[in-house]
Amino acid sequence: MSEPPDPNAELLNELRSVLERVDPPPAEIAEFARAALGWRRLDGELAELLADSALETQATALARSGGTGSRWLTFRSEGLAIDLQIEADGAVRNLLGQLAPPPASAAIEVQAGDGTVIATADADSLGRFRITLETGDRIRLRVLRPDPPGPPIETSWFSV
Amino acid sequence: MIEPDLTDLVRAAALGDQAAWNTIVDRFEGLVWATARAHRLPQADAADVAQTTWLRLVEHLDRIRDPERLGGWLATTARNECLRHIRLHGRELPSDETETFEAEAQEPPEVALLSGERDSALWRGFARLSDRCQALLRLLVSPAEPSYEEIGAALDMPVGAIGPTRLRCLEKLRAIVDLDPAFQGGVA
Repeated sequence: MSEPPDPNAELLNELRSVLERVDPPPAEIAEFARAALGWRRLDGELAELLADSALETQATALARSGGTGSRWLTFRSEGLAIDLQIEADGAVRNLLGQLAPPPASAAIEVQAGDGTVIATADADSLGRFRITLETGDRIRLRVLRPDPPGPPIETSWFSV
Repeated sequence: MIEPDLTDLVRAAALGDQAAWNTIVDRFEGLVWATARAHRLPQADAADVAQTTWLRLVEHLDRIRDPERLGGWLATTARNECLRHIRLHGRELPSDETETFEAEAQEPPEVALLSGERDSALWRGFARLSDRCQALLRLLVSPAEPSYEEIGAALDMPVGAIGPTRLRCLEKLRAIVDLDPAFQGGVA
């Protein structure tokens, strides 16, 4: 026995045809997505975005930030955690970072969406670093650790 | 919707196979886009979310646990990026008040893209549906033909609720357009 015809199938088909015309996926996104394969890590190790106060409930985020309204992000790779506090001041973003456990020495690069390095900083002996950016766009951090030697660690992309 | 070769495609893409990667992009770009738009993000913000979603997949290509469910992974990721974007930029979430209609819906700007009266009436009626209904119908008619599992992941909706909600939303849409003479007599 076949299913009875769906009385709404025709309406749904008309809607499909309308949406195909008014809101197709922009071709630029597919182009971007295809090109993105070329930006995958070859030498580095991913520090995955594990927590973002922007995704927490307001009460939890408020408690974590101590009421300062700043945003907290946590990234983690196998051997390193990166905690980041971001304060927005107009178009300026102040990033306060903490590497744990603190490497004996580490340099941090900020990569813009097109891969260019837009800022650098050195972590201090306690693993702390500070970076000021004049962008709210998508970035990622690259942690280079000459000591102890190891592959560079790249965070997930995120918007500040 | 089981696509038997997704495991191979993901594995090949992780090794840098551009053709395999393009196949993945072609298959899921509609799902990612529909998810972003279902969260009522404007075009530019939806594009930003979609790009971030694809970057996440590139980052994770070598650690996707269940490649056969890649669509669900992408839908969940896109939804999370939408929520992040909305929290950071203060856009309202789709309301759960599924029964409220905007009393005097404004003419949606995209109507200019439609020539037929019937299509324009349908689009006007769609714009008057609740956010939840618009989100679900967008995904249901997406060219990516997402599975209920993928739609559930995109909208954080239990799979069992999709069928009944679909029916209710379509009935509402029909009730709206049935009152519109342009829909009844219009040429598509």
